[in-house]
This record gives sequence, C-alpha cells and structure tokens, in this order.
Amino acid sequence: MRIAWFTPLSRKSAIARASVAIAAELAQLADVHICHFEPGEVREAAVPVKRFASAAALDDRTLENYDLAVYNFGNYLPFHREIFLLSRHWPGICILHDIIMHHFFAAYYLEDLHSPAAYSLLMERLYGEPGASAAARSLSGQPVWESSEVGSFPLFEEVVQGALGVVTHSEFFRRRVAQNFTGPTRRIPLAYDADRSSPVVPRSHLGVEEDRVLLITVGHVNPNKRIEAVIEALGSLGSAAGRLVYAVLGPASPEYQRKLEEAVRRNRLEGVVRFLGHVPDDVLRAWLSHADICINLRFPATEGASASAIEEMLFGKPVIVTDTGFYSELPADCVVKIDPAREDDLAGVLSRLVADPAARKALGDAAWRFAESEYRASRYAKELLDFAWEVRAARPLLTLADRVANECYRMGIAADMPIVDTIAREMGGIFGRR
Amino acid sequence: MKIAVLNNCVPFLRGGAEHLADALAAKLAEYGHQPLLVRVPFRWEPPQKIIDHMLACRLLRLPNVDRAIALKFPAFYVPHPNKVFWLLHQFRQAYDLWGTRFQGLPDTADGRAIRDVIVQADNSYLPEARKIYTNSRVTSDRLKKFNGLDSEVLYPPLLSHSQYLCGEYGDYIFCPGRINATKRQRLLAESMQFCRTPVALLVAGKTETAGDAEAIQALAGRSGMEKRIRFIDRFIAESEKVEWFSQSLGCAYIPYDEDSYGYVTLESYLSRKPVITCTDSGGTDALVKDGVTGHRVAPEPRALAAAMDQLYADKQKARNMGEAGYALVQSLRINWDNVVEKLTR
Amino acid sequence: MKILIATSVTPFVEGGATYIVDSLSQHLQARSHEVEVLRFPVSEKYPELLDQLLAFRLLDLTQHGDRLIAIRTPAHLLKHPHKVVWFIHHYRCAYDLWGTKYQGIPDTPEGVAYRDAIIAADNVGLREAAALFSNSTVVRDRLKKFNGLDAEVLYPPLSDPQRFHSEGTGDYLLYFARITHHKRQWLAVESLRYTDTPVRLVIAGCPDPGEEPYVDDLRRAIEKYGLSRRVTLISEWVHEAEKVDLFARCLGVLYFPFDEDSYGYASLEAHASRKPVLTTTDSGGTVELVVNGRNGFVTPADPELIGHAMDQLYQDQDLARRMGEAGAERVDEIGIHWDRVMARLLA
Repeated sequence: MRIAWFTPLSRKSAIARASVAIAAELAQLADVHICHFEPGEVREAAVPVKRFASAAALDDRTLENYDLAVYNFGNYLPFHREIFLLSRHWPGICILHDIIMHHFFAAYYLEDLHSPAAYSLLMERLYGEPGASAAARSLSGQPVWESSEVGSFPLFEEVVQGALGVVTHSEFFRRRVAQNFTGPTRRIPLAYDADRSSPVVPRSHLGVEEDRVLLITVGHVNPNKRIEAVIEALGSLGSAAGRLVYAVLGPASPEYQRKLEEAVRRNRLEGVVRFLGHVPDDVLRAWLSHADICINLRFPATEGASASAIEEMLFGKPVIVTDTGFYSELPADCVVKIDPAREDDLAGVLSRLVADPAARKALGDAAWRFAESEYRASRYAKELLDFAWEVRAARPLLTLADRVANECYRMGIAADMPIVDTIAREMGGIFGRR
Repeated sequence: MKIAVLNNCVPFLRGGAEHLADALAAKLAEYGHQPLLVRVPFRWEPPQKIIDHMLACRLLRLPNVDRAIALKFPAFYVPHPNKVFWLLHQFRQAYDLWGTRFQGLPDTADGRAIRDVIVQADNSYLPEARKIYTNSRVTSDRLKKFNGLDSEVLYPPLLSHSQYLCGEYGDYIFCPGRINATKRQRLLAESMQFCRTPVALLVAGKTETAGDAEAIQALAGRSGMEKRIRFIDRFIAESEKVEWFSQSLGCAYIPYDEDSYGYVTLESYLSRKPVITCTDSGGTDALVKDGVTGHRVAPEPRALAAAMDQLYADKQKARNMGEAGYALVQSLRINWDNVVEKLTR
Repeated sequence: MKILIATSVTPFVEGGATYIVDSLSQHLQARSHEVEVLRFPVSEKYPELLDQLLAFRLLDLTQHGDRLIAIRTPAHLLKHPHKVVWFIHHYRCAYDLWGTKYQGIPDTPEGVAYRDAIIAADNVGLREAAALFSNSTVVRDRLKKFNGLDAEVLYPPLSDPQRFHSEGTGDYLLYFARITHHKRQWLAVESLRYTDTPVRLVIAGCPDPGEEPYVDDLRRAIEKYGLSRRVTLISEWVHEAEKVDLFARCLGVLYFPFDEDSYGYASLEAHASRKPVLTTTDSGGTVELVVNGRNGFVTPADPELIGHAMDQLYQDQDLARRMGEAGAERVDEIGIHWDRVMARLLA
C-alpha cells in the first residue's frame, strides 16, 4: 500500500514527532512518504519526505500515485491549514490529535480569511441556535475558545466531514466522533517515544534539594490545567507543604501568571511553587527524570490523548490526572484519578502520595509497564495499516453513496423525501451494509 | 455510429412514442448506423415511484455507445456524454397539466415536492445535451416557458411516405385513427345533420370504449344518415387506409389539445388532401393553415358542417389546398433524411 | 399469460443470451402468451457495476406480467412477485475468474470489497426467485459453489430444430462455430493429419474480432500439412440456408472447444440434422450431451485419437447414421425441447 502521510514536520510540533516515529514503523509494512508544507528546517525522518508549497500546489496526478492519504490534525492553524484544505479536496483518513479544533477554525476564519460571517455560519450549521449565539459572543469580545464552553463547540465535525475514515487516540473521543461521522472510525493508542536514555543534570543543578518531594506540571499554563486547584490543595497542607517543591514548566500569559502568583501568596507557598516558563527539551527531561509526582489535571479534556501524561508514564512516574476523557481510560493501577466534581480530594491524594514512597514506586512502575507496550509506534503502524485496509474496503460503497447523493442534490431531493430511505434500504438490502 | 435510442416503457402497452422509436431505429439502420433501442420501465403510481425511476435512470450506463438519442421522461436522464434530445414528452403533469384535472400528482406537500424535483431535474440534466430537438412547436414552447431552454422543432415523419396516393377527390371526408373521447369522432358524426351538401363521412378505426361505438352507431343509424355516415368499427389495414385517403375529398382530424399535428394530418397531406381541424386541436395548426391547406373551425357541429360543405362545393379549391398542404410538408422537411441528419450531426 | 423476459446486453457486442432470449420469446408467443422483452444495457467495466445493480432494484416491474423470467446477469436483481431465473452465467470476473489473470477487478481492498458487494447482491436477487434454473450442469455447480443455491438444469433448445434435416452421410466432418482460438478448430486440422481415410474437413464460422491471426495460422497449418485439398475453410458469416445444408450433408460434426459451460448449439444442430458429434473429454458441457459410442465419440484431446475417431465414422457410414439417430433421441431424453422449457418456466 502506498500512503501519503500529511503532517507538520516542524521541530516545535509534537504531532510531527509522533509522525516521524510512526512513519518509520509504517515503512516496514507499506510504502510511506511524509508530505508536508513547511519551508525551512524541519525534523528528519527515516522515510522519503516530500515538501509542497501549499495544498493548491499539489495536483491530482501526484495524489493518484498513492492508494491513500492520511491527514494529521491538531488545533494549531499554522501547522495544519494546508492539510485541512487538501483534505477537503482529496478525501483520506483523518487523525484527530485534538478534540477541540475551535482555535483552528477561529484563527482560520477570523484571522486568515477575515470573515466573521463564515465563522458564524459554521457555528450555526454545526450547532444550531446555541452555536450562533456562542459565535456572536466570540465576536463581541468573549471568545468561546477561551472559556470552558468550548467543549460544547469543538468543531472537529468540520474536519471529519467527507473523510474516508477517522482515527482518534481515545475511545471516548472515537465514540463522540462516531455520533457525527458515518464512516469507519478507529481508536489507536498514540505512539510516543520518550527519550529516557540521554543523560540529565543532577537534581542540585535544578535547584531542588534531595530531601524535598518534587511535584511537576508540564505544558502551556492555562486554566484548563487546574493549577489554581493544585495551589489551593497545597495550601491546605499547611506546614507539610514546606517539604515540597511544585515546579510549573510551561509558558503563561502575564495576566494569568499574576493571578497564579496571587494564589501562591494567598496560600503562603512562596518557597514551594516555582514558575519556570518554557524550558528547552533537555532541561524538561531533567525535571521529568527527577520528579517524584507528576500532576496532570485537565478540565475539560481538550486533547484526544495526552502526550504529556504518556511521557510521564514512560518516565515511570506516578501521575495524578482528572477522571475525564482520555485519562478515564488509563488503568486504575497506573495513575491516580481525581473526580472533576470533587477537586478537594486532591489535597488528600497529595498528602498520601507525598508520605508514601513505596506507593509512588508501585504506581510509577505500573505506569511504565503499561505505557511501554501501549504507546509503541510499531503498534500504531500496524493498527493504522489494518484500519487503512478497512477504509479502502469501504470505499466502493461510499463512492456509490456519494454519486447517488450527488444526483439527489442535482435533482433537489430533500433529506426527508421517501427516496432517501429507499436508497438506504436498497443498498443495505443488496450489499449487506449501509 | 453506434446509437442508443432512449425511450421509456410500460410493459405490454405500445403507443405512438413506441412506434416512432421503432421507426427511428429502423431508419438509423437504413442510413448505415447501428441502433440499439433502450426501453426503460417506468412506473408513476404511487407518485414517489417517479423519483425512484428518475434516479434509476441516472445510475444506468451506456457503454460502447457513440451517441444517445433521448425521447421521453425519465429515460432521457440516462447519462451519456454525447446526448441529443428528440423530446416527445416531458412529464406534463408537473408542468402544463399542473392545476388542471389531469395533474396526476396530488396537491399536497409531498406532491408539490415531487413536482419540484421533476422540474429541477429537467433544469439540471437537459442542458447537458448537445442539442435539444422536439416533435412540435407546442413542446418547444413549453420547454422554453417552464425550463427556459431553447430547442429546435424536428417533425416526426411516418415510417414510410411513399405508399400514399392521390386519386379522385370524392364525396366523403375520411376520419381514420383510434376512436375515443379526445379524438372527438362523435362530434364529427353529430355535425353531419347540419350539412347542406351531400358530403359524406367515413369514420374508420378501433373504438376504445363501448360508449363511443354505440354513440356513433346511433348517429349513423338515424333516418337520413345511412348514406351519410359510414362507420367501420375495427382496426383497418394500411392498404385500406391508403386507398380511403386516396379517394377522399379531404380528411377531418379534430382531437382536443394535442401537442403535435398528428399522423393523420400528415397522412392526409401526403395524399394531397385538405384537412379540417378545430381551433382547440393544438398542434395541428403547424400544418393546417385556414383557407390555405384546409379549414380550422370552432369545435362545434355547425362550423364543422360548414367546412365540410365548403370542400364539397368547391373541389378545385379542395384540390389546391391539398396540394398546398403537401408543399408545406415538403418545405418543413418532414422526412427521414432531415431527421437522421440532424440527430446524428 | 403475460410474461416479461428481462436480460442484459453489452451494447453492440453479440452475446450468447440474444439467441436464448429471442427463441424463448418466439416460443412463448407461439403458445399464445403475451411477451415483453426488456433488454437492459449494462457496463461491466470496473467499477461501474454497483451503480447499475442499485438501478435494477429501483426499477419497478412488480405490477406487470404473470411472470418475470430473468436471463442474463444482473437481470435477476429485478423485483417481481413471480420471478423465475434462467441463469446462463455469472459475472465471471467476480466468480470463477477471480484469482486468475482474467480477474478484471484489481486485487486491492477496493477490488475485494467490490467483488464481495456483487456476490452479496447476487445472493439476494437469486434467492428472491420462485424458481432457479441454469442452462447447464456447469453453471448449476457454480451456483451451488459460489452462491450456495440449488438450481435445476434446463437446457436451452434450438429455436427452429425443424429447419435441420439429413441428406445422407457425406464425406466431410463439419466444424461450425465462431472462429476463435478456444473453439480449437486448430485441433481439428491437427487431427486430420492422423487420419488414414480420405475424410474431409469443413471449417465454417465468423472470426471473432481480433482473431485474423488465428485464421491465418489455420490456413498456414492446412498448407503446411498438405491438407489443402481436404480442408475447406469458410471464415465469414454463413447464411442460414447454407448452414442447414452444410449440416445436412456432412458425415458428422466436430465440436471440441476448450472447457465451455454448455454443449453448444452446434451439437444440437448436429443432432437435429441426425449427425453424430465428435468431442473431447476437456470440452466441458458437451460431455453432458454426447455419450461415447452412442451419439458420437468422446476422446481425450489428442490429435491421434481424434483422427482415429474421424476414420471410424468414415469407414462405417452406418455407424455414423445410427449415432446420428441416437443423437436425436438423446436430445429428447435429457429434455432439450421447448415443451419442457415451457412447462418448467411457467410452472
């Protein structure tokens, strides 16, 4: 099978990292070309890499050389715009790394196309009146994508329309996609390789004493990560918090940073909580290596799967997560799950784990064993190829359905006319499926 | 060329369109083409079935065919890149019959939705043809009015023109063809009593209902009418028809609102005999020009009687009008050379 | 009764079904039934078939006719309250040619799914039939193997057997068939080399498009083996009257195509003319009709053995005549006649 694997390839893209690993494994089973649209320096790959200037620059003859196109989607417009445009023209398999694609479309319609009307239309088309209202709010200074409401308007539906098949990295998201997409869907555990072998600096270099218990949270600092709740929980530990260091590794906006610092002062945790901002990869690896507990809360869950949680598990760490989305599907003996409606439990969980190194080790070891086999690129490649076969086998009937739909469209046949049911019934009747 | 002729089909029923399709196929072969007559079943009751058949036609294929000639709805939707229409029929129930008692489709939301689909389908697919021909001015006008499409009239010839003869201009008006209420032979029979000349009427053809037969028999049986109305209630042979035309004074063809001029009109002019028709007969006016090639009168017994009397009283004029009609047919190129040339162009 | 006959045609390509459909229509009308024949154009090009299969389900003939007799695939997909299928062959690319170089459908996931869809549709359409017939045991066996269905064999007879007759036993063997490689006229020429008698050979038939090289090969072989005086090769359309005459005056008929489903109309024409048929063990359906030693010879496809059988006929004209008579009996015995066809189709 000849696969065109469309992905960002930038060093700054985590999806690019996953793509390189997966493509390398997939190349054992199929002919894979990584196809990307970025100029300048990009990651290296073990398979042939094809660069294109834009979706428009790709002609059909080139695409016809492949049996299937695979499109990797994330919420960040600059990395995924051309991929999106191409997927409209040339249906393929869509891999949804993020559930929430709202930021992508907001940026596309509002910043790229300067068309608030198109953004509003999209919201209304997919979500009806509530969507139209939310769009109106967004346009009048209360952006939906910066509120917790965004979970109700994810906009992934716009990405999957017309796809031949959709891959997600968690079962809950696959089910959600299947409610809006009638073609084949598959959940495949995200491929992730963690670099545990490169040497890291000792703890002292990080400024953390050996007798302090190190807690970390990794990633872009925003309300979704529930850091305020962590600060409150640490505050409720009273003097016991003095034995801890809580390092927050990731950039924050100045206002939000001020807000968090205010919470730190209120809870008298100045010696405990440290905001380190964005750190280079090798520094991050050092923190991960030395961490005693990883705090990886999310609410609502916006990612299809959490690369950071997977990485933390691959480093053999005990991870505290919110019991939602992707995290709910993690085995109970590998991570500690907090009920999002009962965030107060966090204080109790923290004090227990801080006091019990054996429990921490047990969790960390279990997490490592699980993650090591679940998130392999070789497994991803094999399952993806299997899905590709399934998707290709579905094509003849899908293509027939498309042709019929096109004729119905040309004749102005409305969705509620009896012929629509007749077609579904007859096709199902003779071909054995919808 | 390898040519597919697309017609619809109701099993076990053959009408004018079927005969024309057969004739077209035969003529295409005669002119050196390879014809294939494609007859697609059509069911229109209940109305939802119409859509089923429209879609079915879109899903059929014509491999190894150079040209498709499409005649009727919905068979004319079968896709082909090199298609020419010789439109005999749109689905009139959605067009000029809508709002009349012949509407056929129910005036409900569903019925209107079906009508709208038919119109939209015609608007979507007919323009894809290389060229649209129709069988009459009436059909062309409707196509322009309802669908905004231009078309050229291409009159359908009879299978053979050469067997018609012109003998005497006798004493009777000939009225051949299927006998039913739309063709209004009864009206002709009723007119005879108002004739002042000894002109006679010969009605010949198969009746479709017992009622029509009885009514004409009764009119023929009335006192004084025995020699005036002759009624042959059966299917007549070609040779009989040719003979009766050749010896007739003229022909009467007075259907109600037909699209085309009708084969009878054409047969009459090929026999060089004038035609009497009515002002509400529809497309007969393409050939029957009042005072020039025949008479066009109100559908009313005295007017019809007067027209018949006029022919009888001035046989020279009748002859002239018959010849004029023949010349008109020639000038309109109602022949297979013209038809085949245009449809295979 | 009012009877619909539905079949498919590939436009402007002569197909085997034309004869069976026309003769069935003719004989039904002769028995005072009203017949409407519907010939649907069908494209077999990948991947167009699925669209057309759906079209066949949407066309509604259920209100017409007391019977719908479906002949060539995919006519059996039409719906009818009393559907009778007289199955002559599958869409072979999806069936017995699948897995061979004649598969026609690509060996990709799409191709496999396409093939599965065709088989699924056939299974539905065929199972709706009130009665399922096949034109040969070979086709019956394929229906069982691929579709899990039991069909009754119903042999298609000649449309006008009475036109054929015998005018004695002549001095030539006749091979009357389309001239194309798998009909193996070349084997007849090869076999003639091994004859000891002066028996002659007449090969007659229309070459298939593209088979001119094969015809040239035949001529060259005839030349090469010095058989020019003994072999007549007519490679063009032969009129009915001339055909009937060739059959009437021959000694016997050769018919040994490679592995055909049916016994072939040539075999029936032979027996209608009261002539024996010489065929081979690998010809396929002919062995259902020809019983070795009774109404002809069935030999291995070996030129020497075939040549020997040719000599036998030449040397024993009485044998040839008796075998010819037995042929007529055999045809009747296995039911290749219109009374049987009518009785079974209209039951």
